Amino acid sequence: MPEAPDPTAPHTPTPVPEPRPAPDEDGRVLLPVAEPRRVRAAVVELAGEHRGAAWGGVAVLVGATVVGLLAAPVLGRIIDLVAAGEPAGAVTGPVVALVVIALVQAAATAVGVSLVARAGEGMLALLRERFVERALALPLARVEKAGSGDLTSRVTGDVTVVTEVVREAVPALIRAVLTIVLTLAALAVLDWRFLIVALVAVPLQIVTLRWYTRRAAPLYAAQRVASGALQQQMLGTVGGAPTVRAFGLADRHVGLVADRSHASVDLALRGVRLVTTFFSRLNVAEFAGLTAVLVTAYFLVGRDAISIGTASAAALYFHSLFTPVNVALGLADDAQTATAGLARLVGVADLETGDEARPEPSDEPVIRVREASYAYRPDRPVLHGVDLDVAPGERVALVGSSGAGKTTLARLVAGVHPPGGGAVTVGGPSALVSQEVHVFAGPLAEDLRLARPNADEDALWAALEQVGADGWARALPEGLDTVVGDDAHRLTAAQAQQLALARLVLADPRVVVLDEATAEAGSSGARALEASADAAVRGRTSLVVAHRLTQAASADRVVVLDEGRVVETGTHDDLLRQGGRYAALWRAWSDHRP
Amino acid sequence: MRLKRRREAAERGRAGGGVLRQAVGGQWRDTTAGAVLEAIHQAGEALVPVVVGVLIDQAVRGGDGRALIRWIAVLALVFVGLSVSYRMSYRATGRAAERAAHGLRISIARRVLDPRGMASGRLPGELVSIATEDARRVGAVTVALASAVAAVVGAVVGGIALLRVSVPLGLLVLLGIPPLLVLAQLLARPLERRSEAEQERAAHASAVAADLVRGLRVVKGLGAEAAAVARYRRTSRAALAATLRAAVTKAWHDGGVLGMTGIFLALVALVGGRLAAQGEISVGDLVAAVGLAQFMLTPLLILGWANAEIAQGRASAKRIAALLAEPHAVPEGKGTLPTDVEGEIAFDEVSYGPLEGLTLRVAPGELLGVVAPDPRAAVALLRLLGRDADPDKGAVTLDGAVLAGVDPADVRRVVVVADHDADLFEGTVAENVAGPAAEPALAAAVVDLPQGGGTRLAEGGRSLSGGQRQRVALARALATAAPVLVLHDPTTAVDAATEARIADGVRATRESRTTVLVTTSPALLAVTDRVVLVADGAVADEGTHASLALTNPAYRTAVLS
Repeated sequence: MPEAPDPTAPHTPTPVPEPRPAPDEDGRVLLPVAEPRRVRAAVVELAGEHRGAAWGGVAVLVGATVVGLLAAPVLGRIIDLVAAGEPAGAVTGPVVALVVIALVQAAATAVGVSLVARAGEGMLALLRERFVERALALPLARVEKAGSGDLTSRVTGDVTVVTEVVREAVPALIRAVLTIVLTLAALAVLDWRFLIVALVAVPLQIVTLRWYTRRAAPLYAAQRVASGALQQQMLGTVGGAPTVRAFGLADRHVGLVADRSHASVDLALRGVRLVTTFFSRLNVAEFAGLTAVLVTAYFLVGRDAISIGTASAAALYFHSLFTPVNVALGLADDAQTATAGLARLVGVADLETGDEARPEPSDEPVIRVREASYAYRPDRPVLHGVDLDVAPGERVALVGSSGAGKTTLARLVAGVHPPGGGAVTVGGPSALVSQEVHVFAGPLAEDLRLARPNADEDALWAALEQVGADGWARALPEGLDTVVGDDAHRLTAAQAQQLALARLVLADPRVVVLDEATAEAGSSGARALEASADAAVRGRTSLVVAHRLTQAASADRVVVLDEGRVVETGTHDDLLRQGGRYAALWRAWSDHRP
Repeated sequence: MRLKRRREAAERGRAGGGVLRQAVGGQWRDTTAGAVLEAIHQAGEALVPVVVGVLIDQAVRGGDGRALIRWIAVLALVFVGLSVSYRMSYRATGRAAERAAHGLRISIARRVLDPRGMASGRLPGELVSIATEDARRVGAVTVALASAVAAVVGAVVGGIALLRVSVPLGLLVLLGIPPLLVLAQLLARPLERRSEAEQERAAHASAVAADLVRGLRVVKGLGAEAAAVARYRRTSRAALAATLRAAVTKAWHDGGVLGMTGIFLALVALVGGRLAAQGEISVGDLVAAVGLAQFMLTPLLILGWANAEIAQGRASAKRIAALLAEPHAVPEGKGTLPTDVEGEIAFDEVSYGPLEGLTLRVAPGELLGVVAPDPRAAVALLRLLGRDADPDKGAVTLDGAVLAGVDPADVRRVVVVADHDADLFEGTVAENVAGPAAEPALAAAVVDLPQGGGTRLAEGGRSLSGGQRQRVALARALATAAPVLVLHDPTTAVDAATEARIADGVRATRESRTTVLVTTSPALLAVTDRVVLVADGAVADEGTHASLALTNPAYRTAVLS
């Protein structure tokens, strides 16, 4: 397969390069996932300035846990005093100690958890910022090779999972592990033999945990897939409700929802079964450990090696391990999920962002295409040796039937794909308005300012006016401050297209590539959009993919593509006179226009 | 006015209660079983420290080996009991929760897809969140209920055990814990409100990131990467500050609760220690009492949690009830359509939205073009034909039967309205284009995809280009072979040559069946039998495409400019 080396491949610090993932059946090559070693290194990097807070927090939490553990020997002291037949007043001293312990432990825990949160949240913020930055810098061709869902699922799913774990599980895990370790230490301080017998529980716990994680990871992955499928089905069905009603498909769609919901319910219940089995197996370990501690206490007290108070304290210690052990083991798979998510985020955040497709620059605002060829799949070339020149300020319309290669040529010029052969030169800042319209969630003004961050309100209105969008924009409930997007005020397809053109005006590029900006809006709407597009590209060097021939008729020059080759080029009138393919297309179009 | 609003709110509340009762009631077996088993589990957990205390007192202290074996056997029994009941209880409540949520999801889907439609427009995102999140929350009420019942039982059992150890100690714990928890709740409330708002802002950062990535092509098309990154960094930093405030607040609140609990246990130790020193209770009793006091906090915390869960479930149930009770856009109808449909459509003095006294007849088998320069008039016409709405004045009839009197599902079996922005669904092209005339329909709509009918449509057909998507949607409409078919602007994203082929295809497949083409495309209008121009809410002119194009300047502007 003649293919240029992919500069977007991950730069792993390991000497052995990651094997290149083979494309799947749809020809997709997913974005990379970082290796465990790289993930660890990335966490250390992210910690950076937060290292002090992280270690400080852990240190304070150690202190809090140690202080908290003092409560049990103090209680044991009370029991010893009582057993020794001391008067009632003797317990006051230890009780005051208990109050002090409670207050110190409370304050230290609050400080420690706050510090850990500061470190964790700071790292999260850095990670998501770096991810967004790299994702936006990725060459489009690379994103498309992976399927747009790959990147989106990482920024929605993985970011959420990692955030939740860092926010909820990590502090709980730190506290639980500290409690366990220090409680075991305390047991050893009471009598080292308690520690030895308490460890009876550990092999049982390890076996149970292994049994659980082997099953949990694939099950939870399946659950996420199933709930995603349910969500997707719901969105499709609910979003398409008018269509469902029009075609009488309600029963079928309720059936589809029921199927997806069933699948998700079944997996959820399997999860419940797994988790309950896991925890009830852990009960066995609890019982074994507790019994061992009690039997040891029996023998040690019998030989007068320890007091009855120490024995009580040991039993209380071990009993108080139940909860933190369950918390720690229960969070083990959360940590696993988060690590997997983190690997997928770091994989993208580490990508090099070489813009391999950027066309060669030129001082003049021109478009020059020489002998350009392109193939999405090697056996199916789309463009063959295309030559094309657009002079400064000239508007050229690309014409051809579906599949002629219009969009591909536009994408080569816009720098989405590097040409497979030949060269593409584009002068000055260029912009592409493509078939994809996206309304950015947030105030309308913010959406527009993406194109020119420092634009004032007058400039925004001027841009909207130029593309004929000021009418509906002024009618919005809060004007430019109206929050637009899928979950707020939804713009129509035509309004979203006009918004895209208004952004173009604000970005003010010298070279413009316009592809199918008028397709989505019904016939009468299409003509209004054509006027908007005309206004937006006026005075710029522009290549317009003409899906309606009126767009071609008003262009300075028309280029006709057929099966990936330029077959005609000239002004509208010239080409009509020549009576070639363009003239035939125009006849088909205007036949019904006497 | 206010009174009326309050009454409405009360009615909604009752309806929400109904949804909740029905959802939980439908799962009463599992919920009850879960509650009983969870109570046994809680009692078992409470018994563990008690048995440990007795064991220390009777076996360890006295050096009694028999007693040791006896009490370890008791401990084993307690563990078996609590473990088995825990497992069975959570499985029962899990089943109840999932099944209740499933039932609600289906009801919601049915309501959303009801042929009579919905009077008010709701965003799909909102509906999906009701069908998933709210349904899940209502289902989760079964778990909360079972836990709450069990917690009450656990508290009672622990209380009795404590009272048996010592009445004053038992009373101290039983009377001391509730004010403690109330205090903790009071402390939490203002903090919770604040931290919720701040956490929402934090969640916003993830949403903005996802939105930017979805709009990747637009950002890159404009070369606005730097601006987007700068904006995201600002959002992210603001979210970070908010999250940190919330996290620190929460840390101090949790610390406060920890401190209060510790002080309370010190108090129990003080009273218990004095009683033991005075010989009122044994040392074993003292150990048990401290353990029980610790244990008693758990059921009461569970009650607090269950209370919050149930409150959330109630709010969700209210939203679901409001959706299920949403008024219909059009009423049912008792009338029937003739079994053999001729396909004659008539508008008689119809007023609806921009339509004012529109009178129009479509002959059986006719291919009629409708040109409506005002897009709102076109939409109104389509809504009336599909009975998504009924006219304010006048009547629309099919073979003489008034549509407003016929069940909307029956109407749509005969009259299929294919909207301009109709959605395609997940699945293959063949699954989308199903119907008696699928093959000729695919040919007529010039659907030529490399993988043919097996082509998969991802994300509602977003994987196809605009033109291909439109052709598949048209094929789906043609495939129904409906006696009456209404097509709205079916070829706006199709090139001229293909459009001409499609026009011929439509003509051929709809031969002798009534078809209404609402469009301004000359290629399509050219193949119609007759064209009407709808202006100012009524028919302004009619004739063939060619004649209207020659004689009517308004028509020429609408169609040919």
